[in-house]
Amino acid sequence: MKNLIITLVLCFTAAQAWAEEATLEHIKVDTDLPAIARGVDDLMGNCHSCHNLKYVTYLDLEKLGIDRQKIDGWRGDQPINSPLTSLMSDEAAMQSFNLVPPDLSLMTKAREGGADYVYSYLLGYYSTPDGVVKNHIFPGTKMPDPLGMSTTTDHAQREQIRATAHDIVSFLYWAADPHEQERYRLGYYVIGYLLILTLLLYFVKKQIWSRLK
Amino acid sequence: MTNKIIHWIDQRFPLSSFVKHDLTEYPTPRNLSYWWNFGFLAGFVLVLQVATGVFLAMHYKADVSLSFDSIQHIMRDVNYGWLLRFMHATGASAFFLVIYIHMARTLYYGSYRAPRELMWWTGQGLLLMLMATAFMGYLLPWGQMSFWGATVITNLFKATPFYGEEVVSWLRGGFAVGDPTLTRFFSLHYLLPFLILGGVVVHLIALHTVKSSNPSGIDLAAKDNIPFHPYFTSKDFYGLGIFLIVYCLFVFFFPNSLMEPANNIPANPLQTPLDIVPEWYFLPFYAILRSVPDLVGGVVAMGLSVMVFSFMPYLDRSRIPGGAHYRPWYRMMFYLFMADMLVLGYVGHNPPGGNMLLIGRIATFFYFALFVLLPFLSKKEERWLIQKGLPPELKELMASDAKEKSEMHHRRNGDNK
Ligand code: HEC
Repeated sequence: MKNLIITLVLCFTAAQAWAEEATLEHIKVDTDLPAIARGVDDLMGNCHSCHNLKYVTYLDLEKLGIDRQKIDGWRGDQPINSPLTSLMSDEAAMQSFNLVPPDLSLMTKAREGGADYVYSYLLGYYSTPDGVVKNHIFPGTKMPDPLGMSTTTDHAQREQIRATAHDIVSFLYWAADPHEQERYRLGYYVIGYLLILTLLLYFVKKQIWSRLK
Repeated sequence: MTNKIIHWIDQRFPLSSFVKHDLTEYPTPRNLSYWWNFGFLAGFVLVLQVATGVFLAMHYKADVSLSFDSIQHIMRDVNYGWLLRFMHATGASAFFLVIYIHMARTLYYGSYRAPRELMWWTGQGLLLMLMATAFMGYLLPWGQMSFWGATVITNLFKATPFYGEEVVSWLRGGFAVGDPTLTRFFSLHYLLPFLILGGVVVHLIALHTVKSSNPSGIDLAAKDNIPFHPYFTSKDFYGLGIFLIVYCLFVFFFPNSLMEPANNIPANPLQTPLDIVPEWYFLPFYAILRSVPDLVGGVVAMGLSVMVFSFMPYLDRSRIPGGAHYRPWYRMMFYLFMADMLVLGYVGHNPPGGNMLLIGRIATFFYFALFVLLPFLSKKEERWLIQKGLPPELKELMASDAKEKSEMHHRRNGDNK
């Protein structure tokens, strides 16, 4: 059954990637705190200058277990419960890009392909022979290559960028659905309980119906 | 003490006799299969939706500038808000799944036939109200798909003769889907489930008048009926357990699989999504809508595709009992219809154009052709079956049914010999 579901999901995502005419790279999101902590660190350094995460607050980060000193460094004199709004005003963004960069709080849930899409997009930058920066996944994107994938040729450095992207996407994945792990944990208990309950109900039913001839 | 209280109530309200007549001793055919569980399950999901919905409404804000944020507030900050929301969103899909199976059972076993026409028609009314409720609920998160789905569907009312434009703006409360649309949809989304509850009561009163149908397709002799409690209470609760396992798997492990990614982007009237897809339960009807090139034609076809079920008691002219069980042609048509529904669903899910359009048109034609052919085929099949000689067990059933009926007739006319 599990295999069937996985196959179906794979077919589904494969079909979607095909529709987008560029194959997405699969990312196995890391749901552990160290990866998320590295991810938010990288995000604050590389993405926060342009992007909001308006549904995530500094307080959420603290509750998650991110280092308080780091948080205080990022938020400056903003109150602890303020959201991760970017430093760039909408007007400035309009001037530079002719659009406001999208909020990233829900990004891994807001695109077909989810986390795979964001990961592939970040790594999808490349330079054409005549020096123009392009993106395989989102050809017309107005976002400048944030991690420098298009200008890095050194293998070790490219691996480093991939690791950074991996952590950032892991953080974004948490940000899009902070209660996911809690949901799974609770889900195992609920399903376990229901399995036992249903088994008992089955025997009750059988017992009662056996009275009939 | 309790006895005393019940006695006190019984003198003023028929509580005990109601419980006895309609629950504990309510006579139910003993041969009902698990396909007869789905009515109870539909009732259960209705209660679940109302319960979760009431609590969601305590935290939700119906305002174009606040709705999207309030959903995120529920998902992130409200205690177990994510659970409420996923239960409610998954519950909508569960509701349709259960209702579609309930309808398919009715079609397969011919439960819509006399004397159960009113059950079928009240059911049809409930289906329409369910569809309206789900459609309006989908606008409330105010995501891209909410907005554009509502825009496309309200736009269909342009097909109204003479007053098309006016009707559309009257429904939306403005020229485009906006704040007035959101607030009225919220209000109606809260109201309709209670009308559905009322409809369910009517549906059940009709049921308790004509009693449950059963796989044999004829009314069983009294000895073949057993009290609802404890036999069907135990069976229904066992079925409920199975249902809850499937439902909770989706709620806890795959809740996002039923949600469109585009709906995690706030509504933007200036940006149309690449393609606008409704929820899975509307896909077959959406495919029919898009198969007809003309707006009015499409709307008529879609409306007819939902309403055509009402005509089943008249379209099916066969008197052979047992639904599809003893009727090879009808059984074939039933399965073809199911397959056609799946094809239409697939077409509805994909962007139109090229092959999809062609397949959609063929499937739409096929959909209506089955209903149009049914009166002729059912009559022909009946003649053929009688000519061929009915299977002995069916003859026996029909004979005992006839005997039962005539005895009842005699008893009623008081000529008991
Ligand atoms: C210099 C400003 C800037 C920086 C820094 C930046 N972005 Fe962007 N980003 C943009 C703009 C502008 C867009 C809009 C692109 C478009 O729609 O063409 C965008 C869009 C996106 C999108 C959405 C793409 C889509 O499908 O619409 C994602 C995801 C994203 N950025 C992630 C990131 C991440 C992760 C980082 C940090 C590694 C980052 N961005 C850093 C400006 C920036």
